[in-house]
Amino acid sequence: MTIKIGLAGNPNSGKTTLFNALTGATQYVGNWPGVTVEKKSGKYKKNKEVEIVDLPGVYSLSPYTLEEVVTRNFVIGEHPDAIINIVDATNIERNLYLTTQILELGVPTVIALNMMDLVRKNGDQLDCKKLSNLLGCPVMEISALKEEGIDAVTEKAVELAKQKKSQNFVVPVMEEVQSALSQIEKIVESNKINHSLPKKWLAIKLFERDEEVIKSLGLSSLVKREVESCIAQCEKLLDDDAESIITAERYAFIGNIVANAVKKAKKGQDTTSDRIDKIVTNRILALPIFALVMWFVYYISVSSLGAIVTDWTNDVLFGEIIQGNVQSFMESSNVAPWLTALVVDGLIGGVGAVLGFVPQIMLLFLLLAILEDCGYMARVAFIMDRVFRRFGLSGKSFIPMLIGSGCGVPGIMASRTLENDKDRKMTIMLTTFIPCGAKLPIIALFAGALFGGASWVAPSVYFMCIAMVIICGIILKNTSAFAGEPAPFVMELPTYHIPSLKGVLIHMWDRGKAFIIKAGTIIFVACGLIWFLQSFNWSLEMVDADTSILASIGNVIAPIFAPLGFGDWGAAVATVTGLIAKENVVATYGVIYGIADATEESQDLLAMIAANFTTVSAYSFMAFNMLCAPCFAAIGAIRREMGSVKWTLITVGFQTITAYLVALIINKVGSAVLLGGSMVEAAIAIAIVICVITGVLLIGKSKLKSSQSIGLEG
Amino acid sequence: MATVIIAGLVFGLMALVIYHKIKAHKNGGSACGCGCSGCTSAKNCHSKSL
Amino acid sequence: MKNLKEVKCGESVRVTKIEGNGAVRRRIMDMGITKGCDIFVRKVAPLGDPIQVTVRNYELSLRKADAEMIIVD
Repeated sequence: MTIKIGLAGNPNSGKTTLFNALTGATQYVGNWPGVTVEKKSGKYKKNKEVEIVDLPGVYSLSPYTLEEVVTRNFVIGEHPDAIINIVDATNIERNLYLTTQILELGVPTVIALNMMDLVRKNGDQLDCKKLSNLLGCPVMEISALKEEGIDAVTEKAVELAKQKKSQNFVVPVMEEVQSALSQIEKIVESNKINHSLPKKWLAIKLFERDEEVIKSLGLSSLVKREVESCIAQCEKLLDDDAESIITAERYAFIGNIVANAVKKAKKGQDTTSDRIDKIVTNRILALPIFALVMWFVYYISVSSLGAIVTDWTNDVLFGEIIQGNVQSFMESSNVAPWLTALVVDGLIGGVGAVLGFVPQIMLLFLLLAILEDCGYMARVAFIMDRVFRRFGLSGKSFIPMLIGSGCGVPGIMASRTLENDKDRKMTIMLTTFIPCGAKLPIIALFAGALFGGASWVAPSVYFMCIAMVIICGIILKNTSAFAGEPAPFVMELPTYHIPSLKGVLIHMWDRGKAFIIKAGTIIFVACGLIWFLQSFNWSLEMVDADTSILASIGNVIAPIFAPLGFGDWGAAVATVTGLIAKENVVATYGVIYGIADATEESQDLLAMIAANFTTVSAYSFMAFNMLCAPCFAAIGAIRREMGSVKWTLITVGFQTITAYLVALIINKVGSAVLLGGSMVEAAIAIAIVICVITGVLLIGKSKLKSSQSIGLEG
Repeated sequence: MATVIIAGLVFGLMALVIYHKIKAHKNGGSACGCGCSGCTSAKNCHSKSL
Repeated sequence: MKNLKEVKCGESVRVTKIEGNGAVRRRIMDMGITKGCDIFVRKVAPLGDPIQVTVRNYELSLRKADAEMIIVD
């Protein structure tokens, strides 16, 4: 018999850390609310018959947000044998609010008091025994991070599950409320409504007018009216509405418990978190600090430290050691020249070009993991909310975009946490503008080839992407499909903490590993294909790259990109292969320019790129590849989340057109200003962009209105 | 001789990769750039567990 | 009678009523802002919105538009 145990608790209370410790999994933990969206399950390390389910962090079991509904449906619908409720002891009042709602559901529950070490450090005292008596369930101290007490809690939960002793907890309420609740209970009973839930819980939910519960019970209109009259009477008596009455009662009950079981040492002193916040979210300094932090992240990972390591992996490791030795080995064992070329130029050249960037990628992931883990990102949402609200998104939309800086797919998925459908669609459309890990090699390659690794290149691309998110957001907001009130922004600002080395490294390795695996699979096959296409002509004779199948295909597409400054067939092909995976852009160059056997000395990828681009066209190329349609995996995710093909096409088209216009402006204006290009062309480019924007606004106001009613429902 | 062996190796590997990708895709797997273990929404990606 | 939006930084107030309806209101209450609780307005974000308050010993940020729904004295 398996025993199912649910882990429930507030966001950021250490649930996922506990889950990882109990199951040996390496789920991602971040120091901001809302990291876990879906529930996940794993087997308890020390007893395989125990299944542990990590639920999304919630503050309440209200029916309003997706996470709350997921958690509630699990507890009600899947009948867990026990629940471990994790309570952040440093924030006990708000955490116990959820506890009162969980206990009411009647499932055997153990409370795991996490972060007691911090409570003690503050000099506060918390009496577990008293707490346990007042709540009527076991309360145990744990440290999820140090893995202390976690087995004891789990064993206790298993023990309770085996006893099947259901919880019998009700929040004590005022007399007026109690009488209304009893009346509702009687109505439910006398109507023989079919349900398996505690009656008292049902009464409270009906009293709160919980729509999900009312719907699931299928009450007749007569019963509804009866219940409604009870509620109305009580509301009139207390001059407040039902939801508010119940919430206030819960918090009043918790206030009592806390007064009994907790002794605060001192009050009013600034904590370390407060002191950090004074600087980091300071009115004047906050934005410059954010810019500086992101500049630093990209500077370190792309330009300075990362570049040094990558230079070595690219030139020495892959260029000389691997490519060189494999080539001489194959030549000495009389392998056919075409196969040598396939392996050395195609596979090693292409995959190597991508793998060469692993150090930079790892460094980026490491720095992002540290930022996410320490609690700064929630502050960024706080700082950026005003900017985001200008185009009708909440600072919460920043979280999908943040996740998107690792990979666009989970970023798009994370948009699920947004309550408002318009917000969600807009966030999905804008999330992939943020450069993901796979796009980083493109930046790094060009920064190294044409800008001499200048420190401003990588951060400037990142800020350009953010600027495009904002500009496109404002434009979209002005089309009728997205007009409307922004979703609310009520968000906890978690306490800062020093990231755990283990957690940060695991997170970095997880993301980096996937990058390497992708290079060895998808990119590997794609490189073989690209090599074949660039080595043969249509009559399958081995020819120079310039007369190959690839070149002839590239030459058809290339004119489209000519106005952007990169109209040669190589750039066109690289951009298109980038649709399979963005690493392919770099891999394609690796294959095309990896013609090592042509000359004695190994051809340097950077030098070849430098010869084919100007600084302006290189920047335009980067911009286009950052902003254009994402890879197929991300497009698939967009389709899933949008739930409609039409909206997927709108999104991809919108992104590609945006990319095109941005690259056009960069190329034409850049050439005119920096390279002495034609001013007239620059003016025309600007005029085109203005025309398109006005056009989108005009059409968007009328046309999207009709599509909105059909498309947005999905 | 060496040509045959190495060609077999290279094409065998490619076939293996394609086979695995198609199999994963049929199971609802996604080709995104992040491992499922580190993903916040792995369950949304594939219906069957991989 | 005033609302939370009008409270200056560094002031402590007590909630008397929460107006509005639906999800936002419930969310605000779920986060611990209920009738009778104390709120300390800690700071305003660099661009003037949202605000950061301390309620029930933790830090919460909410928009001025939402703060308007919270009546304090």
